[in-house]
Amino acid sequence: MTTQVNKTALPAQHAVAWFDQWRISPVVLILIGILLFAIVPPTLFLVNASFHETLPDGSSGAFTLRFYQKLVEGKLFLPSLINTVIYACGSALIAIFIGTLQALIVERTNAPGRRLAFLAAIISLGVPHILYTVAWLLLLGRSGPVNDLLSFVFQKSQMLDVYSLWGMMLIEGVGFVPLTFLLMSAVLRSTDASFEEAAMMSGASPVKAFMRISLRMALPALAGLTLLIFVKAFESFEVPALVGLAGNVSVITTMIYQSSRQAGAANYGEAGAYSVCLVVILLGLMLWQSQLSKNAKRYQTITGKGFRPRVIDLGAWRYGATAILVSLFLIVTVVPVLMLAFTSFQPFYGGVSLEAFSRLSLENYEALLKPGSFRDSILNTLMLGTMTATLVVPFTALCAWLVVRRASGAWLLDQIASVPLVFPAIILSVAFLDVFVNMSLPLYGTLLSVILASSVRYLPYGMRYAFAGTMQIHSDLEEAATISGASKARIFIRILMPLLAATLVSSWLMIFLLSVQAVSLPLLLVGPGSEVMAVTLFELWQNGQVTELAAMGILWIALMTCVSVTFHMLTRRHQFSV
Amino acid sequence: MQAPRKTHFILAGLFASLLCAGPTYAQDLSILTHRSADRERLLIEGARKEGLVVIYSAAIVNQALRPIAEAFMKKYPFVKLTYWRADTEEIIAKLSAEVRAKNVVADLVEGTGVGELAVESGLTVPFTTPATDELPEIYRDPRGNWASSRISYFGMAYNTKLVPPDQVPKTYDDLLDPKWKGKIAWRINTSSGTPLFITTQRIVRGEEKAAEYFSKLAEQQIINFGSGSARTLVDRVIAGEIPIALNIFAHHPLISKAKGAPVNTVLLEPVPSTAGTMVVPKGVRHPHAAMLLADFILSKEGQEIFAKAEYFPVRPDVAPLETLAPVVPKKAGVQELFVGSEKLNRYYESSQKIWEERFR
Repeated sequence: MTTQVNKTALPAQHAVAWFDQWRISPVVLILIGILLFAIVPPTLFLVNASFHETLPDGSSGAFTLRFYQKLVEGKLFLPSLINTVIYACGSALIAIFIGTLQALIVERTNAPGRRLAFLAAIISLGVPHILYTVAWLLLLGRSGPVNDLLSFVFQKSQMLDVYSLWGMMLIEGVGFVPLTFLLMSAVLRSTDASFEEAAMMSGASPVKAFMRISLRMALPALAGLTLLIFVKAFESFEVPALVGLAGNVSVITTMIYQSSRQAGAANYGEAGAYSVCLVVILLGLMLWQSQLSKNAKRYQTITGKGFRPRVIDLGAWRYGATAILVSLFLIVTVVPVLMLAFTSFQPFYGGVSLEAFSRLSLENYEALLKPGSFRDSILNTLMLGTMTATLVVPFTALCAWLVVRRASGAWLLDQIASVPLVFPAIILSVAFLDVFVNMSLPLYGTLLSVILASSVRYLPYGMRYAFAGTMQIHSDLEEAATISGASKARIFIRILMPLLAATLVSSWLMIFLLSVQAVSLPLLLVGPGSEVMAVTLFELWQNGQVTELAAMGILWIALMTCVSVTFHMLTRRHQFSV
Repeated sequence: MQAPRKTHFILAGLFASLLCAGPTYAQDLSILTHRSADRERLLIEGARKEGLVVIYSAAIVNQALRPIAEAFMKKYPFVKLTYWRADTEEIIAKLSAEVRAKNVVADLVEGTGVGELAVESGLTVPFTTPATDELPEIYRDPRGNWASSRISYFGMAYNTKLVPPDQVPKTYDDLLDPKWKGKIAWRINTSSGTPLFITTQRIVRGEEKAAEYFSKLAEQQIINFGSGSARTLVDRVIAGEIPIALNIFAHHPLISKAKGAPVNTVLLEPVPSTAGTMVVPKGVRHPHAAMLLADFILSKEGQEIFAKAEYFPVRPDVAPLETLAPVVPKKAGVQELFVGSEKLNRYYESSQKIWEERFR
């Protein structure tokens, strides 16, 4: 049979396979059921809201197309779509450029102290995105130190306007650097060095060999990563809300936010229409990405052997490389955190000046440490992170294993599990509110409901990690176990989980750090007694309590740094790589 | 084949049980409008049985909500008070979802702009309390749908370093001076921002003159500030990013000024004011405790807590903080224009349209 025939016969074959072997393993079926259950209600809610009038009490009325009509006719949709694309592209490029540079230095050169970059990246990941954004706004704001310095040097006032498209790209892009670096260095580490060696033996210089061979081999992965960050920026909320809204730069997520909040009873028609457009665009991108990563697998089929990627000896330049790493760490993490720390000691924020230094006080910390305040929300948040990560990690490990070992029907799992990525979190929040409040189980308003929602939200991330980890494990051990009579469950628990431990630990930490800093998802789901930190931080910003926010942020960063460093130490000791 | 069928069955059961409607509570709500002398005794008895009361409020947690909760539970130790703080928009979203699903967690809802919106959307039930009898007429709702809990006055904030003392705008017309072009900001997407400002002008000037005023004001290229609260806008003024901000809460600049920040308030006459209101959601589960809490918030003790939290009490016998007195129109000798939430809602859409057409 030629490939041509094969292709055309594909759908039919699928269908036959589907009905023929109704023997889809019950495990796969249950997993698919859980996933569908988590994903279908929000989707239905969204589509329903966008096609129906919302009655004053919030229930849906007559069918209408007017929200879409308004979108097409309105003069705001197209500009905000263009803004969104520019913003997402710009952020992705910035993140990829800096992250890849960092990863290259760490993985492929002999710059002294380069391994510490991992620790730095993990610490940066622990800084909630919202704090990060606030810190950058303080730094680059019209009365921030950067503008002060520029106007001092050039004698021209307020040269930079951070509340603009470039400001958004910069903040979002730099914010993604740690993630890009971690993912990129994993890619670089897993490219086979023997090709490079072959090139060098044929007379290519190390740099040339790298550019011509390794970089090209990493290209599909790089493209996939770029797309991932593009998608993340596309649906991001914090930066567009804090930076864009203040500067009148609207992107699609802030249009959703604003139209869902317009004074007047809850009306999700317009927001729904925006979201459906967003979801459709993102779904398109995701499909394209999965196409890309299919190609990526083709590139990587040769990997899996034991090898050490080649390290380029930079000679005296290696100190220069270290200097680049250090300055990137300073820019990406230290300076913003210092800015927050400075602000946290101020009674009100009025820029950095000698006068401001004379105002230093502990007022904000005193307010924070008063008995009762924020303690609950800190405990809730730790609970949220721990539970979410603990739910997602084994679940995705099981899914990924089934997918990689081609259990029948498991390909569906892979597809469904990446769907949550395309939902903007604000809309997920509204949709989940609707789901939980209508449940007969008393979940509504509880921390558990937030945990479940964020488990769905971070599923794709866990999946990505677990997938990469499982791909690297050869099936011979499992086959040996099967021959010796072990059950599937036993194989999974006794063989796969221990082998996957390193990946699972990193995945756990990543999901923990991501879920504790989510703002828009828990916004409507929390109720009395289930408040979480990130929402409190967002509210402090909204209420203009910047100095208190900074103090709370510093304490939170300190706590997260402890968590991250502990993990780092543990994984180092046990020879895991994060 | 046995196993998959069984799991199907279990899954289907799970789906069905999860998707069916939430619990409904039939409650005797007569207590909400009960006016006899033994009302308080009945409230306490009922609240003792209910044991719990939940308030959704837009008031700040540390200074207002927590002290209210502590004082309330000290007075009525048999009722546990829990609160959820959020912005008006979130409160409305959550409330409407709860009422629709007949799974109402909130017993009392408090905030600026919440009241009339919730009433119009049919999310509330009427209630009466003798505590409102002591309030000035304009702060009361004759239909008993809402009760005022605190008052807000709106003024103009300016940066004292960027606006010389002799040039500070004193009237709405002073804002039209070309030297302020591009230097004035106002809040959009919130009812106490542009809609309140525009509505005030329309009431005071009449439609025709107001339209004239707006066309001149539009030439000033007002900065549309869409992120964050009024407090955030004042912070941007303090930081020197914006010289002048309109329709901010008049007391916010004073609080910062007392800490040494370069900012001050001007009351432009007439000073628009609105009320924070309380409503009781339809399907309330703890009506007795809700009434007890409403009474407490309106009592002298409750109002004093609000006053200490830098809000303006609605009761005439509770004075606002001494430091904030300069922005109380009556004390400053300036005319006040109370724009009740009903009025604001009536004007809302048309005012919003004016903004969209001229200022967006």
